[in-house]
Amino acid sequence: MTRPVRVLFFATARTAVGRAEVDWPVPPGGISAAALAGELETAYPALARTLVTSRLVRNGRYVRRRSERVRPGDEFAIHPPYGGG
Amino acid sequence: MSVRLTARPLSIPQAWRELEGPGTGAVVVFAGRVRADAGPLGRVLALVYEAHEGPALARFRALESRARRRFGVTRSVIWHRVGRLRVGEVSVIVGVASPHRAAAFRAARDLIEELKVTVPIWKTERARPVRRPRRPRDRRAGRSAG
Repeated sequence: MTRPVRVLFFATARTAVGRAEVDWPVPPGGISAAALAGELETAYPALARTLVTSRLVRNGRYVRRRSERVRPGDEFAIHPPYGGG
Repeated sequence: MSVRLTARPLSIPQAWRELEGPGTGAVVVFAGRVRADAGPLGRVLALVYEAHEGPALARFRALESRARRRFGVTRSVIWHRVGRLRVGEVSVIVGVASPHRAAAFRAARDLIEELKVTVPIWKTERARPVRRPRRPRDRRAGRSAG
């Protein structure tokens, strides 16, 4: 059994999903960032609107290509537009 | 150089001490506070800040390097609160020290503007809902029902 991906939701993404994080099962070879975002959107339809304006982050780095692989054990975060200060 | 994400109150005197040093002719410290804005949800009572800690601290360090490289800053402070902050509390302190004032002003402005749009920190309003006065027709309806 492979390790899941730890998915983190912040701000409007957390509100849409109703929780701050979830362990998401992925195949042993991983899954593309786009496919993972699609699975999350299917599971949490309210997330769709936030995903349009969000950046995807894998292991602390921005996902540059939607085809980038997200592998078992990775951290995958959804970053809505920032608002610090 | 000092970066910090903390749930504890931020101290301006402490930030000032971090910026002391020989050769420092100019120190600029900016503090951002929670405003009592009238937002769509009502009068703001507090803001709740959250951060993606690892990437946020990494971004703080990148901003420090940028300030040294672009403006010749010799010391800097980038501190941000997380958690629930009431109106009037300090949410962020950005401070820089440099030999001359022009660079210090430019660097402090650059740091806070970049922080707001490039660091994974978010805030959510906690507001007192606005009470709308009942219209006269509503009051009449209330009397007739009672």
